[in-house]
Amino acid sequence: MTDKFCMVVSEGTFDKAYMPLIMGTTAAAMGSEVHVFYTFFGTKLVTKDQKPKLPGMFRLFTGMFQKRMNKVGIPAHDEMMKQAMDMGINFYACSTTMGLMGVKESDLKPGVKVLGAAAFLKLAGESKTTLFIG
Amino acid sequence: MDSPMHGIVNTVKAIVMDKNATLDARGLMCPMPIVHLAKKVKEMKTGQILELLADDVGAKEDVPAWCSRTGNQLVGTETEDKLLKFYIKMK
Repeated sequence: MTDKFCMVVSEGTFDKAYMPLIMGTTAAAMGSEVHVFYTFFGTKLVTKDQKPKLPGMFRLFTGMFQKRMNKVGIPAHDEMMKQAMDMGINFYACSTTMGLMGVKESDLKPGVKVLGAAAFLKLAGESKTTLFIG
Repeated sequence: MDSPMHGIVNTVKAIVMDKNATLDARGLMCPMPIVHLAKKVKEMKTGQILELLADDVGAKEDVPAWCSRTGNQLVGTETEDKLLKFYIKMK
């Protein structure tokens, strides 16, 4: 039986963008079935044409930090998300948040699915690990 | 532990450790060595030995953890300064 690993992301900053991708790809590499649920401001991270920045004052250092990450083999956010999808990781945008923030399905990045709380909680209930990323 | 015996053991290990492929993950930081490892393993056959090179500090624990979780066997490790070499037998 494959272990399930769930993550919830509710913030839209650069660090919160990468955390589920880094942990998710690692979990997938170790044989887990990964589900990542984006809600509230996390929705920014699964919408097209968004460029997440480091939080607060650090936003100015985003570019530099990105370069550092690229140097050690961690790709750009969109690229890493595609790699994650290729590894079978499931990305979901919260249907309610989408409704409240006026996000349409066509605004979502390709491959991102829509899910409601109950359906996600069913997955979380079956998971070995569920993490709240931020 | 730098006795002559250690040197002999290492030489024997190197000869015996007949690898079928090498994955060079040097310069990559966690989790990338593991992500690339999982990808490479898909191309390999049961019983083959994969040599993984890494210089990321995290790899020391990451690789054994990955092996134990996926059922692949870590059959040898070598350390040369910062360079870590892992020999993994495919399940």
